[in-house]
Amino acid sequence: MLLGRIREARLARVKWSGIALWAILALLVIIPVTVFLLAAISPRLLHLSSQWFTFGSITAAFQGYTGEGLFNSVWVSTTVAILATSGATAIAWLVQRTNMLGGRVIGALMWVLLLIPTWIMTIGWTNLIQPGELATALGFNTSGLYNLFYGPGGIVLILTTAALPFCYFVVSAGLRGLGSEFEDAARVHGSSTRRMLQTVLPIIAPALLSAFAIAFAESISDFGVAFTLGLNTHFPMATFTLFNAITENPANFSVAAVIAGVLILCTVPPIYFQSRVVRGRSYQVLSGRTRSVRRYQFRPLTRWLVSIALFAVLLLVILGPLVAAIATSFTRTISFETTSGIHWSLMSYQSVFNPPPSIRPLGGGLWTSNQLGFFVASGTVVLAYVLARRLSATTGGWSQRLADVFLLGSVAIPGVVLGVGYILFYNQAFLANHVINLYQTMPLLVMGLTASAIPGQSRLLVGPVSQIQSSLSEAARVHGASKWRTWKSTSLPILSRTLTWAWVLTFTKTIAELAVAQMLLVPGREPVSVLIETTLGGVFAPIGTAATVLVLVEMIGVILVCLTIYRFFTPKGWRRIGELSRSE
Amino acid sequence: MSSPATHVQLSGVSKTFGAKLALNGIHLDITPGQFAVLLGPSGSGKTTLLRILAGIERPSSGRIQFGSLMVVAPGQFLPPEKRRLAMVFQDYALWPHMTVARNVAFPLDNSTSTKLDRKSRVVDLLRRVGIEHLSERYPNELSGGEQQRVALARALAADVGLILFDEPLSNLDADRRESLRIEIATLARESGATVVYITHDQSEAFALADVVGVLNHGDLVQWGSPEAIYRSPATPFVARFTGLAGELPVRVHRVAEGRAAIQFNSPSESVEMIDCPSNCNSVGDATMFVRPAAVSLTSESGVNRISVAVEDSAFIGRGYEHVVTFDGGRRFTKIFSASRFARGTRAFVEINPDAVFIMKEVE
Repeated sequence: MLLGRIREARLARVKWSGIALWAILALLVIIPVTVFLLAAISPRLLHLSSQWFTFGSITAAFQGYTGEGLFNSVWVSTTVAILATSGATAIAWLVQRTNMLGGRVIGALMWVLLLIPTWIMTIGWTNLIQPGELATALGFNTSGLYNLFYGPGGIVLILTTAALPFCYFVVSAGLRGLGSEFEDAARVHGSSTRRMLQTVLPIIAPALLSAFAIAFAESISDFGVAFTLGLNTHFPMATFTLFNAITENPANFSVAAVIAGVLILCTVPPIYFQSRVVRGRSYQVLSGRTRSVRRYQFRPLTRWLVSIALFAVLLLVILGPLVAAIATSFTRTISFETTSGIHWSLMSYQSVFNPPPSIRPLGGGLWTSNQLGFFVASGTVVLAYVLARRLSATTGGWSQRLADVFLLGSVAIPGVVLGVGYILFYNQAFLANHVINLYQTMPLLVMGLTASAIPGQSRLLVGPVSQIQSSLSEAARVHGASKWRTWKSTSLPILSRTLTWAWVLTFTKTIAELAVAQMLLVPGREPVSVLIETTLGGVFAPIGTAATVLVLVEMIGVILVCLTIYRFFTPKGWRRIGELSRSE
Repeated sequence: MSSPATHVQLSGVSKTFGAKLALNGIHLDITPGQFAVLLGPSGSGKTTLLRILAGIERPSSGRIQFGSLMVVAPGQFLPPEKRRLAMVFQDYALWPHMTVARNVAFPLDNSTSTKLDRKSRVVDLLRRVGIEHLSERYPNELSGGEQQRVALARALAADVGLILFDEPLSNLDADRRESLRIEIATLARESGATVVYITHDQSEAFALADVVGVLNHGDLVQWGSPEAIYRSPATPFVARFTGLAGELPVRVHRVAEGRAAIQFNSPSESVEMIDCPSNCNSVGDATMFVRPAAVSLTSESGVNRISVAVEDSAFIGRGYEHVVTFDGGRRFTKIFSASRFARGTRAFVEINPDAVFIMKEVE
């Protein structure tokens, strides 16, 4: 009887806000993706063919060009995940647990790397090492290197550098929480360095598995490299073959749906395994008390050599492509260096705003992307924060479990899958004719971009949100603060820096996003990433590169403006939180 | 002008977490101005009860009344901010982005007093808890004891009729615990508020409380003055949790008017009949629960003295505490003697029959 009353009380307390949240997530992600996946086995349901039920598309998807794309995506993503996790672990260990120089700069460089989309990285590397480009002008013969780059090697390189910051932040957090007492305990009980590592590394196994899962999911769902380097080198990747299946004539949505399903399924094992490991065992090494971490002390010469080597690699990976892209944008020729020398010019920049008749003005695209960025970033931060709060709640209710499953699942959904899902669902006659016609409208593009940004941002926010002791807000409530005042005076100040970064990151990622933008663009109001992509690989490549540089400059500008506003318009106590966590 | 102390009444308060029953129909009546301590081990439900009083948790059933204000009843739940109470948290719960002064001033933000009055009240409170010189510091720049003083000042700042303390001393070292315990007792009583304080430390509970409630597995097993609980524990659990030297199995031969004639079960321990206070209503096997104060160590045999082997002795300043083993293998601890009995020697434990309790486990 008591339990019966309790159940009633619980049902009565089902919050409308929770229902609203799930309704939004259903419209943004769950329904469009489910509808798209249904097309794999029941194309008639979506008026795509006459068959109610078929396995024919599944067979077709694993053959020929599409089959090759799936195979390539799996092995490339596995390789990338292994490389990125091990590389990030090494860098994180050097920064967190040794006396190497410039740890903070490494962290900043990781943020820079996080901001650069893969297609811009591809343009940069091509501008750097393609024969006739910057490296040639500097006297290097890069034809051998370029042959390595122009194919799976380049794809692995770019995807690894793109996944590196995700892995770095995850592993760093694990290492930060790992007090040196574990190492000390192993050592005082007679362990060699090797045995000590064997003992201690499993403690951060969840962080390593998280890093692997994130790197794998990010790589297998990437569209930027697949659509640029993959397409040009005739190395099919699944996200491109999916895109190709729906853009070719006639479109084959069923095969595209099978590819989408396989992509999502591929990411399930690593994410599920990681999730099981984290849940099954308690690895909580973080507490309110700061543990003192003893750093491994390199000798002075080794310390300098290690620091210089790490900086050299990171600067080459980050600055090399960027400098090459910038240099190329100041020429008016397809190659940086021609037989008649280098022709410096601002013509490409002028052409961004006053282009030749055959291409669209990129300035308008930039403005469209900024508008999109603003709305998507604002909506994403709000929704991601709400989701992160549900995920980090200690009550473990149905909403939390659902949110957990949703985020695990949606991490694995490539942007291109979301895009096709939107096309299929929001273009359905019953919806377009009788409810609302969103197809090829800006609101639909905003929804699609928001949906693709939410999983990543929620993941990013879960850590900081869950680190806030519930007693901080409880203390405010029992001392007379309303819910709103409690949030405003406790959670907001503590999370302000993280939320600012989440907004900035989503804004910049939205400007550079290619997959959803390509699928859901509104004719005549194309985002800048789509416009740039149409200029690449031809005579207008310098204009596209100049536009790319402008996009990057704008991204940096937005970051600086946001951080300046934060620096000068927030109370001192708010800023201390971020400074404290950085110094720990 | 202080708020009047709150009369706290709980009636049939239960709480479940999934299938686990955390609180089982708790009834309590804490009179205005009383310092009530809820004592219990981990998992006994004391924290849940305190959080329910604060409004942080919702009870599954039952009623809670603060004076004439019904805070919990079927279909009714008053949120924490409307309950007019203050709380000191185990982990201090100081807001890291606020200075000490801002933390303490937080509960005053809703008051109608002027800014100047609020400021002078903060200064006064910080002076009372001895940290006025730290007012512009941030919490991470303070020691644990200083942080807990800020939390105490914040609770007192609210000037409410009920103050809750959630194991406030558990994160502090022994010296700081002692000094802060005295400050809590003094300042909380000065405030005139009703206090509900939870702890798992019986010495802390007895030192602070006007009234103690002992909780076990979600049940309030005893409610009374510290003296009553120490001298007349209601159950074996209360006896054990409030400090024993040890236990001995006995056989009850006669019971009458709260006393029993008992004999030790093991022939090697004693064959004498002892007359002592008892909770038993029937003859048969039972357990003798012995407080440290009910036993002493001597080198000579005699009435109510049992031969033991001295296993360990520890110097505690005013004398020695010993660990002894009976011939049957049972062990007694914390047996005080002004002089030291060497390890491995034989001695006699003298039991004061009027200071032991005879209880059966099932009762």
